[in-house]
Amino acid sequence: MKEIERPSRNNLEGIGGWLNPSRYGWERISYWFQRLTGVFLLIYFIGHVYETSTIVNGQNAWDSFLELTQTVWGHLFLIMVIGASTFHSANGIRLIFTHAGIGLGTPGRPDYPYNPASLNYRQKSGIWIALILAAAAMFYGFNVLFGV
Amino acid sequence: MDLMSCLECNESIKMTSRTILKESQIMKIHYITGIAAVFVVALHIMMRLVVPFEQSLEYNYIIANYKNIVYVLILEAILVLISVHGFNGIRIILLELRQSRPWENMVTVVTISSMIGLIAYGTRTIIVANGL
Repeated sequence: MKEIERPSRNNLEGIGGWLNPSRYGWERISYWFQRLTGVFLLIYFIGHVYETSTIVNGQNAWDSFLELTQTVWGHLFLIMVIGASTFHSANGIRLIFTHAGIGLGTPGRPDYPYNPASLNYRQKSGIWIALILAAAAMFYGFNVLFGV
Repeated sequence: MDLMSCLECNESIKMTSRTILKESQIMKIHYITGIAAVFVVALHIMMRLVVPFEQSLEYNYIIANYKNIVYVLILEAILVLISVHGFNGIRIILLELRQSRPWENMVTVVTISSMIGLIAYGTRTIIVANGL
């Protein structure tokens, strides 16, 4: 009896392909950052919910947990969180507009050199605005946390 | 397979999969929770910054925050909105990596269970801290 052939998965790059940005263009880089910052922020959020839960064990438990996080490295980590959340929010709003068809422009005939019509100046500006806002928020966070 | 039997076949898949929410509806929830989370997190951060940063982390100040009903509602909203948005985001990423019915079911069950677990754990902290 002939065995049923399983579909080939040879073309599946999985997480390895996802994490390799070497062939990426602008939109793909922003897609990659959106995913990475999203996963990073969820991990932070779970940690933050756990961290704040120590308050129910009294002042000593709260203070001892704060000693772990209120360090230079803890503050640098928080600055990363500020940057990631700002980029994720700003780029997310751009993606919502894009999903609604806003900022994509009108379809046109594909002519040489076949630049994607969807990746126009509006989309590129949105990605740059997200990056600039993230940098500005990180700078502000640095000033607050390190009191510069 | 003719068109009619193909349509029947698709219909039966829909019937057996018991679709509760369409992906388009889930995506709308994802966007709404994301935008709402931006506003409530902004409120949360602003309420941290009305006093110097070190003072905002003092035990008595935090407990006083947990006794403020408006702030408690903001915290609960953050907890629910980010949990729904975050775990749905993880679900979307995992479904992009692999597609099959058992995988989809497993991912949905694990992400919804984790979401409920995190909301329950965070709500417990808010309730207990409110009573301290």
